[in-house]
Amino acid sequence: MTANRLWRLLLLPGGLWLVLLFVVPFGVVIAVSLGTTDILGRPVYGWHPENYTAVFDPIFLPVLLRSAVFAIATTVLCLLIGYPVAYMIARYGGRYRNLLVVLIILPWFADYLVRIYAWFVILGDQGIVNGLLHLAGLPGTPPIIFLNTPMSVIGGLVYDYLPYMVLPIYAALERMDPALIEAGKDLYGSPARTFWHVTWPYTLSGVIAGAVLVGLPAVGDFATAQILGGPKTYMIGNLIQDSINTGDWPFGAALTVVLMAILSLIMLLYIRSASRQVQALG
Amino acid sequence: MSVRAAPVEARPLTAAPGVRTGRARPPRAFDRPRFLKVFTGLVYVYFFVPILIVFWFSFNSARSLQVFRSFSLTWYRQFFHDPAIIASLTASIEIAFVTMVVSSLIGTLLAFGLVRARTRLARPTDVLMLLNLVSPEIVTAIAFLLLFTQLGITLSIGTVIIGHVTFSIAYVTIILRGRLSSMNREVEEAALDLGATNLQAIRLVTLPLLWPAIIASGMLVFVMSFDDFITTYFTTGLGVQPLPLRIYSMIHFGVTPEINAIGTLMMVITIAIVLAAIAIFARQHNRQIVTLLE
Repeated sequence: MTANRLWRLLLLPGGLWLVLLFVVPFGVVIAVSLGTTDILGRPVYGWHPENYTAVFDPIFLPVLLRSAVFAIATTVLCLLIGYPVAYMIARYGGRYRNLLVVLIILPWFADYLVRIYAWFVILGDQGIVNGLLHLAGLPGTPPIIFLNTPMSVIGGLVYDYLPYMVLPIYAALERMDPALIEAGKDLYGSPARTFWHVTWPYTLSGVIAGAVLVGLPAVGDFATAQILGGPKTYMIGNLIQDSINTGDWPFGAALTVVLMAILSLIMLLYIRSASRQVQALG
Repeated sequence: MSVRAAPVEARPLTAAPGVRTGRARPPRAFDRPRFLKVFTGLVYVYFFVPILIVFWFSFNSARSLQVFRSFSLTWYRQFFHDPAIIASLTASIEIAFVTMVVSSLIGTLLAFGLVRARTRLARPTDVLMLLNLVSPEIVTAIAFLLLFTQLGITLSIGTVIIGHVTFSIAYVTIILRGRLSSMNREVEEAALDLGATNLQAIRLVTLPLLWPAIIASGMLVFVMSFDDFITTYFTTGLGVQPLPLRIYSMIHFGVTPEINAIGTLMMVITIAIVLAAIAIFARQHNRQIVTLLE
């Protein structure tokens, strides 16, 4: 057996697995999304594009818009919080750099649901914050309502995905030669101008990677909106979950296809901008 | 710290014509390490307070989630005396372990194929793997649910494992591929020159060099599978619920302090595995460097 034949053979199990369990299932989703259900609720294949019209029905439009707004807000907040942290670790971390990075990853090792639950405990009507306010001498006042608001859901999402923003930005900053910043200042650039014209463009690839890593899972998240929110804050993930649980599989499948299509579009834009950046750098 | 950081803030001593002269303005807040330090400190507090609260209240003797009364192991005792939860824990460990073994095997083979095979199929396979990696979990999870039910496969621990293996392969392959392509191919060629067959060269030379990366990626997969909620949610059948689903329904039916104990235990298991992986990786890595130097 020649070496190349061996290597080609090794592609087989993984490649087949991905085709059979990633491509084929997605084909099934598309097929179901165009079908309907029989009396027993079992999917029947057919040609019913009206499932897709239903997705953009005025009843569901707010949910789609809300998902987009929540995901964008989460990404922007993660950037505003994550960039300074990454900058601090990369530039002033000194010998504690690695420790600081490990500490960023550490909360991720707590179970995803437990992390959301922790915020539920902190912000609930009977939660820790309201408990402290009570102790602080405001007994009798009604508890402050944190949960079930857009802010609690966005806050939870930020908490879920912030490490994904910090790490790529940190990696980009770490590659950067600090002398570049010095040079900017030697040329009489103010710190703000130096940042805007030197540091920011240099780390843009990390920022974009972070935005993708935060934005994509945030759009599809449903547990956060469910535990820290309610029907008023439902996102597309909750809609998918509900339609699957109530047996309206074609609609759930159509929602899934729409979600995937929108995200693929974003990914495509990202890949194009990334390759353009590679070209610009030579 | 502030002394060491001083040169960064230094202003030019002589001002060029046309540039503002006189007293240099203080640096903007963003470039002032003190502001950054305080901000970063607050973010770390934000990171850790929720987890520390879960940890702390898991030892609370009272039911309250507001007041810590006294130290007790009530909630842990309750956990270990609940056969249903122990079954969930066992199921989760089982799923994570099988997922780790299967995806490590397939992912490693795939990494070899992607790095070394000269075929037109390598590129599409690579794209497929990356697509799988960036697809939101809810999409792949729904796809599994529909596939299994359309094929008439009853949902069970087996279907959960298939789902987990699928999202894990890409992680193993990417880590292993990085290691493989940074490895010196000449070591293997030396073995071939000395009369080893291809398989012998891989078994005796390449694999020992790859082990740390394989183990590290395997542990990462174990942790991801153990903590996974979305794929598990859509691929679990009527039998034993894996632990994340148990937590989910506990949260749904009203908050109980037992969740604090479960969360703490899960965190301990996860961190122990990660530390073990780091230790293995570091030890092997050192030994390799030593062998290479000798």
